[in-house]
Amino acid sequence: MKSRLPVLVAFISGALMILAFFGRGTVVDAVSDRALTWQTIVGGFSLLLGAVSIARVHWKKVATKHEDRLYSLCLLICFIVMGGSGVINGIGSGTLFDTLFQRIQAPMMSTMFSVLAFFIASAAYRAFRARSVSSAILLVAAVLVMLGRIPMGQYIYHGLPSWADWIMTVPSMAVQRGILIGAALGAASMSLRIILGIERTYLGRG
Amino acid sequence: MNIIAHPKSRPDVVPVNPGVRSVRGALDSRFRGNDDRGVKAFWECGGLLSVAEQAFIGLITVVLTMHLVLPCIASGDGQFAGVFRIERINALVLSVVFGAAVLWYIAQARRGAKMYIRPIPGLSAVDEAVGRATEMGRPVVFIPGTGDLDEIQTIAGLSILGRVARVTARYNTPLRVPVLYPLPMAAAQETVREAYLDEGVEHQDPETVQYVAGESFSYSARVGGIMMRERPGAAIYMGLFTAESLLIAEVGQSTGAIQIAGTAAPDQLPFFIAACDYVLIGEELYAASAYLSGDPKILGSLKGQDLMKIVITVIVLAGVLAITFGQNPEWLTTIFEAK
Amino acid sequence: MPEWYSHPFFLLLPTAFFTLAIFSFLYKDNPMFKLAEHVFAGLSAGYYFGLIWQSVIRQQVWMPLTQDGQWSVLIPGVLGLLMFARFFPRIGWTTRLPLAFVIGSTAGIMFIQQLHGMVLPQVGRTLLPLDSLRNILIIVGVLTTLIYFYFSKPHTGTLGWIASVGIGFIMVAFGAHFGYTVMARVSLLIGRVQFLLVDWLGVAR
Repeated sequence: MKSRLPVLVAFISGALMILAFFGRGTVVDAVSDRALTWQTIVGGFSLLLGAVSIARVHWKKVATKHEDRLYSLCLLICFIVMGGSGVINGIGSGTLFDTLFQRIQAPMMSTMFSVLAFFIASAAYRAFRARSVSSAILLVAAVLVMLGRIPMGQYIYHGLPSWADWIMTVPSMAVQRGILIGAALGAASMSLRIILGIERTYLGRG
Repeated sequence: MNIIAHPKSRPDVVPVNPGVRSVRGALDSRFRGNDDRGVKAFWECGGLLSVAEQAFIGLITVVLTMHLVLPCIASGDGQFAGVFRIERINALVLSVVFGAAVLWYIAQARRGAKMYIRPIPGLSAVDEAVGRATEMGRPVVFIPGTGDLDEIQTIAGLSILGRVARVTARYNTPLRVPVLYPLPMAAAQETVREAYLDEGVEHQDPETVQYVAGESFSYSARVGGIMMRERPGAAIYMGLFTAESLLIAEVGQSTGAIQIAGTAAPDQLPFFIAACDYVLIGEELYAASAYLSGDPKILGSLKGQDLMKIVITVIVLAGVLAITFGQNPEWLTTIFEAK
Repeated sequence: MPEWYSHPFFLLLPTAFFTLAIFSFLYKDNPMFKLAEHVFAGLSAGYYFGLIWQSVIRQQVWMPLTQDGQWSVLIPGVLGLLMFARFFPRIGWTTRLPLAFVIGSTAGIMFIQQLHGMVLPQVGRTLLPLDSLRNILIIVGVLTTLIYFYFSKPHTGTLGWIASVGIGFIMVAFGAHFGYTVMARVSLLIGRVQFLLVDWLGVAR
């Protein structure tokens, strides 16, 4: 029962979705529509588990006087203030929730995103330093596309922008397509294994 | 795939000593062991096809009946005409062919046919990476992507987590799984708990699988902080990643961890290739679970995928020739339209 | 309110502080970054909590139940509550039911979505006439990349040769994407530097 029922639930919910795809206006169709909402609701409840996880990890640090206790306390206060204001006062514009997001969180997100400029430079340096045929191909393609996308590229050679465009629309696009087809087959196969109960590692079983 | 960076090129990487090689051998056999006790009794009848597979074939039969038989019966009064999405017949044919290819090889595997799968360097490196972390007394960081549980890549990542957790449990290597959303956290906790139980370890540490943040950039900042302070011996990234992939992998690189990444997101693969020691590209992510389990049935499903690749190659070549030398038949392109 | 307080320097001080604190992480781990990291994680976890509480728990469960009498929402509600069964050892296994439901339905959707929404159209778009170098390269690129993922045979002989052509294509594509993204990331950095120098300090225009 403990092992069978979850596998049966996965089979029924997966099979229902497949059946619903081919039907129109049927009972199965209606149930599958509802199942998508149910999926969101189940995910919504897991939110409380997330809160429990955060509280357990960081309160433990505060209670045991861990060297990072002040940081953990800070995290807990921010979580309670932001989450609490969202629950009590709502999330509309002008609320504390919105102000904290606009004034603190959103700029931090932009900053973190912009850090990528440094990381992409260091990753490029390391990748291009590796001496192999593969990395040489990668380097040439990257430099051509990079130069083709900046105004200076045109001054170096007037055809660079069109070269860059060609690389993006021919070999790059072909590879994206090949990867997507292969990955789609892999994803479909994995889905089938889950529905059939062959793949059960997500339940902790091989 | 180990195309760009390699641990040997980094001075901070400790060479693996013979002691670890023996651990690695043990890990190897462990990874490849067929350990699917538990639900076997019910779900697999022991015949050529399991109950579930028979039910799946039944399902396809129902759909086929809906599509082909009932509309013919109802042709007189059109009673059933509006019920079936006949425009999706191409998807149905593809599903049937794909399902049949996969089920055929699974049945072959049940009969005891040998299933060869070529070595995938990134996966062979998983046990080496865990062994190295064990030897160095450092934790293993595992990130099951930054997608929610409604992404199949996240589920693929969790499957690989199950295999990795068994090994870390066996060798008492600390495992850190910071997760972006609460639902994958719940699934990861369950996966890790069961994997530890399978190894006879009662798992209690709330810090092993922890919910970190509900947004990807704060998640990257937090994961970066955790990695800089805990300095993992191995960092494994498997699942769906977006722009934060490089933020996480570059920090991991700076800590000296062996890094193995796998994603089916083509946009993020170049960054993983630049920052990680081994990268699983696209379909290799989904093959990972099969490869690590060594379960013939799962390996059989990989064979089914390969058969489909041959079918697709033949279709593309035939279609290209038909379009080039034929009269550019419209029907050929409409067959592949997703409606 | 004193006049100095409304000066952009003071108004934008918290934003600027956290921006600099995050940039400081590029040098090394330090208390300023550690503070920013914890504030950032706490706020975003709280943001996600507030957002999901309002948009899911309140709008999709509480309101339909209390205002419209939709008792059917109790089913996912109960499934959602089963997530907490893990805290009670005797019924702990039931926590797998909501997970199985979500994973099973995701698998069902993905099975169809990948075959119907991905394989069919991508194969269809590759059916091109062999009348230009562009088309020939696209067809060769797609097929050799696909064959690179062939698992059932070792990549030796003809298969190995085709797979190595595939990996050549893959490297060109990855390099191109890398180069394409660099400029986008640099423009993001310019945006943050502009905030610090123009909006906050007012030292440049």
